This record gives sequence, C-alpha cells and structure tokens, in this order.
Amino acid sequence: MAAAILSVLAALAAYPVVGTGYGVRSVQQIFMWIALAGSWNLISGLTGYVSFGHVAFFGAGAYAGAILVASAGWPWPLAALAGGAAAVVLAVVIGYPCLRLKGPYFAIAMLGLNEVLRALVSYFEGLTGGGNGLSLPTLDASVPIYYVMGVLAVVVTAMSWLIVTSRFGLRLMTIREDEVAAEAMGIDTFHHKLAALLLSAVGPGVAGALMARDQGYIEPISVFPLAITVTMIVMALFGGKGTVFGPVLGAAALFVAQEIVWARYPYVHPLLFGAIIVGVVLLMPRGVLGLLQQRYRLPRTI
Amino acid sequence: MNVVVTPAMLGQVIISGILSGALYAMVALGLGLIFGVMRVINIAHGPLLMLGSYTTYFLYAHFGINPLLTVPIAMAVLFVVGVLLQRGLVFRVVDAPELSSLLLTFGISIMLVNLAQLAFTSDLRAVEYITGSWLVGGLAFSKPRMIAFVFAAAVTALSFLVLKFTRLGKAIRATSQSREVAMVCGVDVGRIHMLTFGFASALAAAGGALLAVIVAIQPEMGGVWTFKSFLVIVLGGAGNYPGALVGGLLLGLVEQVASLFLTTQLSEVVAYVLLVLVLLVRPSGLLGGRQT
Repeated sequence: MAAAILSVLAALAAYPVVGTGYGVRSVQQIFMWIALAGSWNLISGLTGYVSFGHVAFFGAGAYAGAILVASAGWPWPLAALAGGAAAVVLAVVIGYPCLRLKGPYFAIAMLGLNEVLRALVSYFEGLTGGGNGLSLPTLDASVPIYYVMGVLAVVVTAMSWLIVTSRFGLRLMTIREDEVAAEAMGIDTFHHKLAALLLSAVGPGVAGALMARDQGYIEPISVFPLAITVTMIVMALFGGKGTVFGPVLGAAALFVAQEIVWARYPYVHPLLFGAIIVGVVLLMPRGVLGLLQQRYRLPRTI
Repeated sequence: MNVVVTPAMLGQVIISGILSGALYAMVALGLGLIFGVMRVINIAHGPLLMLGSYTTYFLYAHFGINPLLTVPIAMAVLFVVGVLLQRGLVFRVVDAPELSSLLLTFGISIMLVNLAQLAFTSDLRAVEYITGSWLVGGLAFSKPRMIAFVFAAAVTALSFLVLKFTRLGKAIRATSQSREVAMVCGVDVGRIHMLTFGFASALAAAGGALLAVIVAIQPEMGGVWTFKSFLVIVLGGAGNYPGALVGGLLLGLVEQVASLFLTTQLSEVVAYVLLVLVLLVRPSGLLGGRQT
C-alpha cells in the first residue's frame, strides 16, 4: 500500500518533465479537485453537516490571494497561505452562529453564502475590481503551481487520514451518527464541528488563491459559481463520503470522465451531476470505495 | 449615503413589504409543512417554484391563457410533480439521517434547474400582463404585486382553513406532532407524506405563477426562494404554521426598509444577515425548539 502510494507520487512528481502544457494543467486540476472534495469531506462526510457552499471558501481564498498579489505585491506562495487564512476567518464567521445549533441551519446558511460574497465583492469595487474582475501581473508559474497544488492535495488527504484514525475523528463521526449521544458522552460538539469546518476551509482557500495566480484573472462569476460546490460534493459522494481515499478516487474518476466524455455535452453534464447525487444517496451511500470496502474486506480507515 | 426618509416613503415601504411578505409566507408555508411532517428540508422547494413560473409562462405564451387563471393550473401540475417526487425518491430518506435528505433534495434541485435549462434555455422570459400602479393618497400600489398579494393571501388563508378544519388537515397536523401517535390513531402516514409534499409543491407553484407576472423568469430564479422560505420559517418561530405568516411579513418589511438605505447589490445580503442574526440571538425558532 505505502509502496503503491509512493510510486504514484513519484510518477506525478516527474510528470511535468515529460508532460505537455495541457497535461500538466489537467493533472493540476485533478490535484485541485482532490483538495476540494477531500476538504468538503472533512466537515460533511465526517460530521454529517452538509456544506452547500464550500465554493465560498474557494472564492474567498481566490480574492484574498489575488488582492495580495496584485495590490500588495506579495509572492504568490505566501498569498496562497493567506488565502487559506482568509477562508478560515470566513469559516469562523459563518460557523460560529450556525454550528452552535443542531439541524439544517448550517446547510441552509452555506447555501446562500456564495451569493452574499459575490454581492460583497461587487460592492467593494475599489478593492476587488467589482464586476470587472481583478487582473494579476503576468507570470508563468504553471509548473511550480502544479507542485504546490499537488502538495496541497497530499496534505489534505494526509490530514483526512490522520483525522479519521484519531480520537478527534472518532468524535466527529460520533456526532454524525448521533449528536445527542455524543453530547451525552461529554463531547463538546460545537467546538468539534467548528474545528472540522475550519480544517475543511483551509484547503479550498489555498486552492482558490493558487487558481487565481494560475489563471491570472478572476471575477465574481468565475470564483463563486455553485457548480464548484456541486462538483466537489459529487466527487466526494461518488468516491465515498466519510472515507480518506473516496474523495481522491471520486475526483480523479469524475475529472477524467468530465474531460473525455462530458465536455462534448456541456448542457447534459450538470444534469448528470444532479442525477449522480440522487443515485449515490439512494443506492450506494458510502460511494464506490464503500462498495469496494464491503466486497474486498478492505480496512475501514482508508 | 445619507437618506432622508419621509413619512410617504415609509408608508410606501411598508406597503411594498406587506405585499411581498404575503408571497413569502405562502411559499414558506410549503417548506414548513414538509419539514413539519417529514423532517425533511426540501432544497428543491425553490426550483419547484421556478417550474410553477414556467407553467404560467408556457400556458400564457402558447395558449394565451390569462396568467391569473394559470395559478390553479400550475398548482395542480406541481401537486402531481410533488407527489411523484415524494413517491419516487424522497420517501426513501424520510427516516434517514438529515444528511441524506438534504443531499437528495439538493440533487433533485440541480436536476430540475438543469432540466429547465435544457427545456426552456436560460433566456429571460416575461409574462406581460398588468403593469403600472394604482395611486391612492400619494402611495403607489403596484398592480401586479397587489394582484399577487390578493391571490397569495387567499391561497394562504385557504391553506390554513384546510389545515385547521378538514380531516386531511388534522391528519397533517397530527403527523407533524407525532408520527407514531398519528399512526396509532389510524392515519395513513405514507399517504399524508405524499399529499403534504404535493400540497407544498402546489404552494411553491402558486408563488411561481404569481411571480411570473412580476419578475423575469429563468431557470435559476428558485434558488434564493429555498433560502428565503427557510429564513421565514426560522423567523416565524414557535413551531406553529401561522408563524410563517409572521415570518413572511417580517422578511418583506425588513427587506423593503433596508432597500431604502442600501444599494441593490447589498440589499441581496439583507436576508442573509437577518438569518445569521436570528441564529445568533434567538436560535430556538421553529426548527430548534419546536413543540406544538
């Protein structure tokens, strides 16, 4: 297992040397989706609190990073970290009122969050460029960004593994299974949920800032679309929510399918994503990895 | 921004708030009913409203039917859609963890929005029926909004009468108080779930049909309505269905008053800030501490 993972990582590390520009960009995108789906999984897959607005953290990171690069002249790796920090701040602001409560409040609050941020970005034109968007100084950093995005994907996945195999992760899953029982056992459910949300906001924040640097231009529509949330949810669900490698599997499989097959049918593709969510929830709630775990007696902590 | 608020402006704002509040109340009542009876937050509530708007548009544009007459037709159509959704998909997650029902209805909502996009394209549609305003004592009553208000008030009143006095309404209320006890008393809970979902979808459709003469119709118009309906239920608090009325009017008024002071971009944020404030200050609304 460890050897397999190491050889895959080694191959990916060597890839930019031989790969085409398109290939490198595509693998970088897969890294990004692994980080996004894995992060969504940390809050929603582990605690059962569905986030319908994780793109808000992505967009917040993108704007924080882009503003720091464009206006303050920060180097982009530092700006990427700041993007993660901005997402964490946003997570505190939204998590504090909503996660103190049990029930669907958090899910619905997240549902409206990207619209709110989009409106705020348009309002604070002086800082964000408003609807005109924000251009970053030109810089070809696609290979370094490839590596940083790859590290991000590895960090998010490793963090998932550490959490799932820790007491902290067990407590999160207890909250998912029965929050009242978790409280009765003395778990401080609010702070556990909040911690999970903060951890799950970092990845999207950093990814957003990296994406902003890579594209060189961002606008409200490009960094706050509901489609990004939908995609990460679909990937995590399809691979297997609440598992470590499910989101990795889902991100890689669906990204490849998306590029090869569905790109030709741009209008059917979101419809299909909706159908996958419905199908997975009803037919295989633990996703592909869950099925594999059942069939081949794989360990539960992967 | 310095805004001088005259009494006339305030009166105007209160009127507008009440007019849109009735629509909020009616649509939110549907979301609240589904939650009360099934413990399911139906994320697809807004998209069902959108389908109601398209029903009106379709009947008006292709058959020249008076938009007001399409309200009951849209309600009937969406009642059937709601029943089918419940029978086909949602009934499987009624007893599942909240995560499942949220994700399932989220998936359904994505499918509905994209089906609408395929069927009707993203072009903005409009039903031009009645425009202009009535002027009474210096205050303007927008005609389409007045008509929508009257219809919404009538439909909401009728819904409360049904809930209060009919056997079906009693069975719905009994099921939302305690499913087990209702079952013991001979209520066919599965059937009540199905009818409630249909009924709630019809309420959303009525909202959509009435909105069709007020705003532009497009596939993504519904999303914000799921959110606002939820907010109305939280605002209404106290766990009883009439709370939706209070919540709806409150949201309508707050939004209109805020629009006096804020630019259009920020006025979209008002509902959101309101939700966060309510959750901070008085979270034990309908969904938290409800015991009817």
